[in-house]
Amino acid sequence: MSAVLSVAGLAELVAGWIGQGKLVAAPVQVGDRLLYQTLATAGQAVFDARRRPANSIKEFFFPRHEPIFHYRLEGKEIALSDVVPEEREQIIFAAKPCDAAALPILDHVFNWDFEDGFYTARRARTTVVTLACAAHDEACFCTSVGAGPEDEAGSDAMLFDVGDGKFEVRAITEKGQALFPTASTEPRRSGSGPAAEKKFDPDRVARYLEANFESPLWNPLTLTCLGCGACAYTCPTCHCFDIVDEGNAAGGARVKNWDSCQFPFFTLHASGHNPRAAQPQRQRQRLFHKFSIYPRKFNAVLCTGCGNCERNCPVGLGVLKVLEAIDGEQRRLDDKEPVQA
Amino acid sequence: MSQQLRQTARRLLSEGKVQVVIGYAAEGRPALITKSEDADKLEWNDRCQANLAVYLTRKEVKALGKAAIVVKGCDERALVVLEKESQIERAALYVIGMACDGVGAPKCERCQVHLPRFADEMIGEAGESAAPAEGPNGLDRLMAKSSAERWAFWTGEFARCVKCYACRQVCPLCYCERCIADKNRPVVIDTSATPKGNFAWHITRAFHLAARCVGCGECTRACPAGIPLGLLNQSLAQATEAHFGYRPGMDPTAEPVFGAWSPADKEDFIG
Amino acid sequence: MSELVPMSFEPKIIAFVCNWCTYLGADLAGTNRLEYPPNVRIIRLPCTGRIDFNLLVKAFEIGADAVLVSGCHPGDCHYTAGNYHARRRWMLFRSLLETLGIETERIHFTWISAAEGKKFQQVIGEITEKARAMGPYAAYQGLCQVQVGQASTPAAGLQTRKPEAAQ
Repeated sequence: MSAVLSVAGLAELVAGWIGQGKLVAAPVQVGDRLLYQTLATAGQAVFDARRRPANSIKEFFFPRHEPIFHYRLEGKEIALSDVVPEEREQIIFAAKPCDAAALPILDHVFNWDFEDGFYTARRARTTVVTLACAAHDEACFCTSVGAGPEDEAGSDAMLFDVGDGKFEVRAITEKGQALFPTASTEPRRSGSGPAAEKKFDPDRVARYLEANFESPLWNPLTLTCLGCGACAYTCPTCHCFDIVDEGNAAGGARVKNWDSCQFPFFTLHASGHNPRAAQPQRQRQRLFHKFSIYPRKFNAVLCTGCGNCERNCPVGLGVLKVLEAIDGEQRRLDDKEPVQA
Repeated sequence: MSQQLRQTARRLLSEGKVQVVIGYAAEGRPALITKSEDADKLEWNDRCQANLAVYLTRKEVKALGKAAIVVKGCDERALVVLEKESQIERAALYVIGMACDGVGAPKCERCQVHLPRFADEMIGEAGESAAPAEGPNGLDRLMAKSSAERWAFWTGEFARCVKCYACRQVCPLCYCERCIADKNRPVVIDTSATPKGNFAWHITRAFHLAARCVGCGECTRACPAGIPLGLLNQSLAQATEAHFGYRPGMDPTAEPVFGAWSPADKEDFIG
Repeated sequence: MSELVPMSFEPKIIAFVCNWCTYLGADLAGTNRLEYPPNVRIIRLPCTGRIDFNLLVKAFEIGADAVLVSGCHPGDCHYTAGNYHARRRWMLFRSLLETLGIETERIHFTWISAAEGKKFQQVIGEITEKARAMGPYAAYQGLCQVQVGQASTPAAGLQTRKPEAAQ
């Protein structure tokens, strides 16, 4: 197998993996949207270095709905049983680097004070093959958060669109090499399109956040947010979840579902008090979690600059505009009182 | 038209007639303008798709004070329904109507309300609007399929639903402070994004909008998974018109369908 | 009843009925010893106006193969107009179900008064036969499979553990 493959060659590889009973996920055209989905056939996969899917690959490690155990009511007794784990190998194919880069970031919290076995088991049996970006749009800002169109974080192997419908493969980890034995592991110098310019400095943003919890900026910047979960659910790094029991008189399952800090009742207490009763407070919390709290805890910004939040937001909000405003404000403050080096 | 809109906003704000102008800024993004200096951020163009009426029932916006709102003809229908349901006081609202030639949404092809009808101030002139498109639309094609095919269609579509509730949050008529989907003692609608939970949610969403939905299409536009949610609302709108001759948001004096009843309601399915 | 009907499938019918008419009608059927199939589970509500459409959805979620909604005749509602409101609701709800491809032949609406014990018997009989012929509502039940347990022992399942510090 050559380290340069045509689209047909890629499809053949994918078909082979599906034939071997592996789960393969890739971008699929669904109506007018590109979405990562588990493939039924190799022909569904779209290899386009110029577009990014509207969802993210976290779904394949941290599903939107996951039973964590089952229970059965037997008279007065409750019988618990474990979920039968999925054992098939999984390959994420032609993912965007900004999606893959989210995985090492999420690894921190899912292995922090408590190892989330559901997540780590999926990570262990998944190989991530990314497709380097040949274009970006106005919503992209991966370079502002230390990522990039050819960033290798989270990737086991990377494809590069070299034109004429051909893709060069680079193996990055042992897992990637196992999938592409003939691929070189040499880092590849960029031949792809210009990366997005940096739009803000995350350290400067973090400094503003640490000193300005109560800021006059929150209201005007975030009042248009409608409080849905479109940003959180399409974000590669958002990972909040809700645990509920679902079932009937015979029994059921305790399940873990995605949750969004933008929902009005996200912080509703049983007492009826809601510490984040207004949307700007909820938006503030999102910015803080991603750009202040998580970095302080894990030394990693909880964002890869993919731009999904803005593209999927019904009112075009997302995080970038708010970050640019905060960055600008802190720069203004720095000019007045320069930071001691 | 943008210039005129900005002038109006500046005037209303500086004279203290309103405390917030709800309009569109660059790229059609909704903007809440509270200072007359910011009026220049307002724009009007063919990307102004959002239905801004949704902001009138949000408590953070109500807290700002009296509002002026920019509406297209389709958006204005929502104002009519909101007033009918006592959610807004028309007299306390300044309505800036925009003459619209379409904003590139699929609904624009079949638009029947190009001009707002009840605005306090109109901006722009009625142009030569194209007649609404004829021929079968998405709903016609769906209803031409068999019942089993429709079931398969929706099962496939709802498989992509992640329960983000963008459809609910963007709808001007979904204004319940506590949605039935958030009720949990007992649970009526599973919150899980499973086939059961998704069907239960979408049936509820569509039916709670029966004879209320004004067809603005925001639900479909907002869905990150590209599910054609508006088809459900459209089918109910068709049934509402067929059975009761009622089109939500068109006639402010018409009696809402579910608030009323008639001994003459015709039904052929009750034994 | 046809002799060819397999006895293994007994349809589950859920009937949402109003307290003042249909429930009393069912009672009358009982006191007159009019036999009707035991497949029906009767749920009593004060009025058909109280019947939320979500109750019908729930009925299918928990495994009903057919649903009956029944109340007072128009003009006879104990609360004056509850059944009129309900009628309007059902007129529109059915069209939504049609659009979704939900089998509306499995949902029956009737007006049965307190004096119509015979009608109650007939209606239940007919609905049960129709449901038996249609078979289980596999499509909706398939959506709602509740897994109440797998054949795995606790030790074999996914373990979550604290990092090394706790060991």
